[in-house]
Amino acid sequence: MSISSDPDLLVLWYWTRSINPNLLDQAARQIPDSTKRLRADVVGGNYDSKLRTSLAGGAYIPDIAGVNSNCSLYFPNEERFVDLNPLGGSELKSQFYDWKWQLGTTPKGRMCFWPMDTGPTGLYYRNDLFAKAGLPSDPDALGEAIKTWDGYLDVGTQLRKKLDIALDINAGAVFGCYLNSSEERYFDRQDRPIFSQSGSAVRKAWDLAVQAAKLGVTGNLQTSNDQNAGWSSGRVAGHLEAVWWGPILADTAPDTKGKWRLANQPVKPGNSGGSFLMVPTTSKDPQAAFDFIKWLTNAENQAKTFNTIQLFPSTPASFTGDTLKSDNSFYGGQEYQTFFRKAAEQVPITYVSPYENLCAPFGSELTNVETAGKDPNQAWDDAVAAVDQVLHKRGLV
Amino acid sequence: MAISESARPGTATRPASFAEAPDGERRRRPLRSYWPQYVAVAPFYILFLVFGLFPVVFSVVLSFTQWDGISKLKFVGLAQYAFLVQDPRFWTSVANTLIIWVISTLPMLFLALLMAFILHQNIRGKGFYRVAFFIPNVTSLVAVAVVFSSVFSDSFGLINNALTALGAANIPWLSSDWGIKVTIAVMVIWRYTGYNAIIYLAGLQSVPTDLYEAARVDGASSTQIFFRITIPLLRPVILFTLITSTIGGLSLFTEPQVLFGTGASASSAGGPGDAGLTIVLYQYVQAFFNFDFGYASAIAWALFVLSAVVAFINFRLLRDRDDAMGDRKVPMFQRRRAAARARSRAAESDAVSASRQTREEVRS
Repeated sequence: MSISSDPDLLVLWYWTRSINPNLLDQAARQIPDSTKRLRADVVGGNYDSKLRTSLAGGAYIPDIAGVNSNCSLYFPNEERFVDLNPLGGSELKSQFYDWKWQLGTTPKGRMCFWPMDTGPTGLYYRNDLFAKAGLPSDPDALGEAIKTWDGYLDVGTQLRKKLDIALDINAGAVFGCYLNSSEERYFDRQDRPIFSQSGSAVRKAWDLAVQAAKLGVTGNLQTSNDQNAGWSSGRVAGHLEAVWWGPILADTAPDTKGKWRLANQPVKPGNSGGSFLMVPTTSKDPQAAFDFIKWLTNAENQAKTFNTIQLFPSTPASFTGDTLKSDNSFYGGQEYQTFFRKAAEQVPITYVSPYENLCAPFGSELTNVETAGKDPNQAWDDAVAAVDQVLHKRGLV
Repeated sequence: MAISESARPGTATRPASFAEAPDGERRRRPLRSYWPQYVAVAPFYILFLVFGLFPVVFSVVLSFTQWDGISKLKFVGLAQYAFLVQDPRFWTSVANTLIIWVISTLPMLFLALLMAFILHQNIRGKGFYRVAFFIPNVTSLVAVAVVFSSVFSDSFGLINNALTALGAANIPWLSSDWGIKVTIAVMVIWRYTGYNAIIYLAGLQSVPTDLYEAARVDGASSTQIFFRITIPLLRPVILFTLITSTIGGLSLFTEPQVLFGTGASASSAGGPGDAGLTIVLYQYVQAFFNFDFGYASAIAWALFVLSAVVAFINFRLLRDRDDAMGDRKVPMFQRRRAAARARSRAAESDAVSASRQTREEVRS
């Protein structure tokens, strides 16, 4: 059952700053190449639980809905969503970054979660502090110095030694960034856990993060107030994060304008965040819903969205021509948008399992190592045991 | 409420007169003839059925299932409860809840009583203080959390800056086990001390002033008056605040939730080392981050059992005190006190109704 009974009105659910409001205004009058109109409802609070509630109740389900980077959470119930490939989706596949397209494709190969924006990652760093520490401060030179994670730890150690400042906020940030740039994550494509196998990506990320904490490369800042104060006071000289973090940083630390730069992160960039659109099977007109989605995410409109609310396109064609505008003054004139465009081209294809949210103990045990000096091996064993216990209860192992 | 019922003289006579009423005719009138009355009270009962009773009953059903919120319900019998008793994170949350409850409630009630006692003396600007005490209670908790996390911030906080200035070492308030518990307890104390002080103040105002005057004439000090007269006379009010604080303390959720934020990931819930993970917060994480509604319901019912046990202890404490009055085993000094208490019964019951009234005024 749909929300609205008006046959010409499609209802979209999204959350603030996830879709360009100008385009929604236009679709509210008429969806281009369609006879339908769109009503966009901002849903606040815990978005996923509200969407799940309407799906579980089988009532008041939107005709189109935004989903965040956790779209795989809906994979076990993929039959509730329309496969967009037969509606004309498959023809457009080549226009999108392949890794983003794969993230929205279900294990059965259906395209249920259509790509919106993306989150290619890199190293944000304070050019002035790096120069002061006698470290390479030019983006290319620094990128060369931190080509490997060993190089990254080395640079961080020197920052700690010379200026007594951290390169990143906490071990969790390094752990997350490593996994986000890895092909392998917690589970394989059949949702079998692989984190406890020897040499697993999760274990490598763990060892790296533990090492970073031990060497003082990370600053043991666990609350957002501490973290923000770290960046604005210069006691943290960098952060590994996605493109969408730039505007947040500019808001957090306006006094540091012009002192930040972007360097390639070790090994290769990853993806953090980025959302999708889906059409529930109850949608009153899936074809019209798809027409809207196709129009909203075409290269030209994604460029407009980047110019309005800085959401990074999932279509490489958005970068051709001069449509994309960005203010580079926060980065001392370095081409912000070009940097992340190059990063987006190298993001690996990966599989995010619906059950990754059950793996939270790895993050909390890592925090125990950093804050309380818990023995890393004990912490690892405890994390594996805690996750195994939950997976067992859910019948996943 | 139990306290006021037992304390109010004369309640026992009313039911007796009811029972004597020989009006059998009235009772046999058909239900149908009362329909306007039933319609009049229906809105509340319908809303209660839909939003109160149904969720409660459904959560019992859910606690015997495995459900992710979308897929079909799968009955698993007692598996959720079996998991619960051996889940170390659940027991951590129980211990956290009880510890935070104790270290917040005891100082809070004592401070509130002290503040009410001082306010009750003839000082100027009482109205100002009463408003000032109440403001923390109506301030948005999110704003409070932002301020508290700045004040208690590990490396940039006001308190740690002050400690450094005094030559002391920084305390990791928001990343160590006891630091987190103390911070949450301080938030609770800050928020509810004024509220409880107002209730005590209302209670104090109905204590006859001649008791104080007599004590003063006999040369009692303020401390003696506080411990020998004020506290004994306020016992029912103190028990009332203890019960409301117990209810609040066992269902503590918002403070740790906004302090550490569960928006980003489930792993940050309750802060480092799960030190601020309370029972209700753990339930919330299971339901809305892990989408394990069956287990979350089982946690809710475990909390119900725990609350029932605590309520029973409260009830026993209360009943034992009342029994002591006429008990032959009561030692001499207690009997003397009991006699004094009997004299002040009327005063006590007034204090309780006054405190209830304040509470209702505040609520509205």
